[in-house]
Amino acid sequence: MESSLLWYLKEFVRGEWLTKFFTVKTAPLITPPYFRGFPTLTHQECTHCLACMMICPAPNAIEVLKTEGVWNPVIYPGHCVRCGFCVEACPEDVLAAGVLLETQKAEHTSFSATFHLTINPNTCKRCGNCATVCPVNKEIDPYLGGTGTPSSDEVIMRIINGEMRVIHNEKCTGCKTCEKGCPNHAIKVARVVQGVQEVNGV
Amino acid sequence: MKALQDLKNAVRSRSIHVCYVNVGSCNGCDIEILACLAPRYDIEQYGIYVHNNPREADILLITGGFSPQWEDKLKRVWDEIPEPKAAIAIGNCPISGCVFNRDGTYLDPPVRKHIPIAAEVPGCPPRPTEILEAILSLAPVVFKDYERREE
Repeated sequence: MESSLLWYLKEFVRGEWLTKFFTVKTAPLITPPYFRGFPTLTHQECTHCLACMMICPAPNAIEVLKTEGVWNPVIYPGHCVRCGFCVEACPEDVLAAGVLLETQKAEHTSFSATFHLTINPNTCKRCGNCATVCPVNKEIDPYLGGTGTPSSDEVIMRIINGEMRVIHNEKCTGCKTCEKGCPNHAIKVARVVQGVQEVNGV
Repeated sequence: MKALQDLKNAVRSRSIHVCYVNVGSCNGCDIEILACLAPRYDIEQYGIYVHNNPREADILLITGGFSPQWEDKLKRVWDEIPEPKAAIAIGNCPISGCVFNRDGTYLDPPVRKHIPIAAEVPGCPPRPTEILEAILSLAPVVFKDYERREE
């Protein structure tokens, strides 16, 4: 009886057993470098093309802000879902996350996006706000009037016979400024983004 | 009394009882919390125990963007937790509503409007390591010298 009790004591009150019992056993909590974190700046020059904001699936996660005269994307961690699309969409490699940029270079992948504008004729009240706020329209016709009736036919959308019509859909850059400017949520920008991979330089 | 308080601090930092509540998320963050329980991360070796009973809990993990049905219920769950207690928001949803925070939604984020949140873990979903680190770094701060602060 006593010998077996001693045996148990000897078996369990060992230094090795005690350290294993009181300390953590698995490997320390480290995040491998190839994991995608929140995108960080690579200090390349941002050209303010807003491709990152266009592709971002999470609301209010990324903004391109001008600080001290330099445009740079800003990521908001409470909103960002760490998908890494902004890293891949950026043509200037301004952002980096994990090994995403290296993988993209090695595999020659990129995004190609087209945008489709639709205007709901039932809710559109022909105010012309969308045509006026559109930054592409402004570049084509700087004298664009408040009613959205420009002198040029090269603009993306204009009022024709009292109806807001989209005439040059292909010029849209997907910035969604018209959506924000529309008081009735009548105009919608649909983006169609394709992943493209070059094979043998084609 | 100093020795007793030190003992309490030591024990409390090694025995953290956790209750998690989903106030309307997609379950992604719940799956990451579940991954913490699995052998790869194994939160019990750090002295964290999951009970899912607010009356036994020290720390409340909240996932989800706060749907209207939780208006009165989350407050009740929070009140049932005995002092000292802390709440951690897990994932983007309790912080900002994440992808569910669109026009016309019924969600009412952030959760810190409804109950006091001690820490927020951003990510969609956050990694198990990030959840673990948040609990482990928060618990000693919240529970240290609790009785002395009460006086």
